Amino acid sequence: MRQISRRKPDEEWEINITPMLDIVFIMLIFFIVTTSFVREPGIDPVRPLAQTAATKERANILIAVSSADQVWMNNRSVALHGIRQLVEAARAENPQSSVVIVADQTASTGLVLDLMDNVRAAGVTSIALAAEGVDSL
Amino acid sequence: MIERKRRKRSAQTADINVTPLLDIVFIMLIFFIVTTSFRKELGVDLDRPSNAPIQEQKRSEVIAVRIDATGQIFVEDRLVHAGAIRANIVSGLASKPDATVVVIADRATDSGLMVRVIDQARVAGAGKVSVAASTP
Repeated sequence: MRQISRRKPDEEWEINITPMLDIVFIMLIFFIVTTSFVREPGIDPVRPLAQTAATKERANILIAVSSADQVWMNNRSVALHGIRQLVEAARAENPQSSVVIVADQTASTGLVLDLMDNVRAAGVTSIALAAEGVDSL
Repeated sequence: MIERKRRKRSAQTADINVTPLLDIVFIMLIFFIVTTSFRKELGVDLDRPSNAPIQEQKRSEVIAVRIDATGQIFVEDRLVHAGAIRANIVSGLASKPDATVVVIADRATDSGLMVRVIDQARVAGAGKVSVAASTP
């Protein structure tokens, strides 16, 4: 009370920024919590359609296979035997992340299965194949 | 300015300057807004058994779906049309309720076809679907 009465003759009004700070902090916390730092593989293959496609939580490691049977991860083309090391490094950063293989629908099955074996050799047990939901079209 | 400072000290009500805090909070906020991606990846789960020696599963516990190099699909060694995979697996599951569906695909086939077969098996109600490559 004393302060208010003291300020008035001062004629120097300050905007109360406390509500703004509250909102900004809430937004900040929201974005910190929801950010998952997905590293894009670098290409966007045509995913096959699947009715049972479900959203993958913690799918932070994306490996793409192009229609020309090239393996892409972290925005560059990598050799099949180099995948294990990259996945291990990604797992070290975020141990809870799981792997999603985004294979083009014309990529060869043999390569996709070899890729899965390499990912499994890196210690990842939950591997999913990316698909396009039928009802999401 | 001098007048105000002097007066504040005497009043013993020093405000904390929140401007640098606000600067940092805003920069963090902008960083997180820019880096957030809300795109969720959709996918089908599958089981990939290792190539290490596995215990032999009884034939009665497995529904084998083969895809050959030309893309023809065989459910339990019977050639079926792509649209009929689901019905065939449903009838297979009726006789063996806890069976695992094993998709054995030729290495040269399109992976899209494999995903389609896995999807159909899941729609048919198979609890476990695993994939394997047929030995060349």
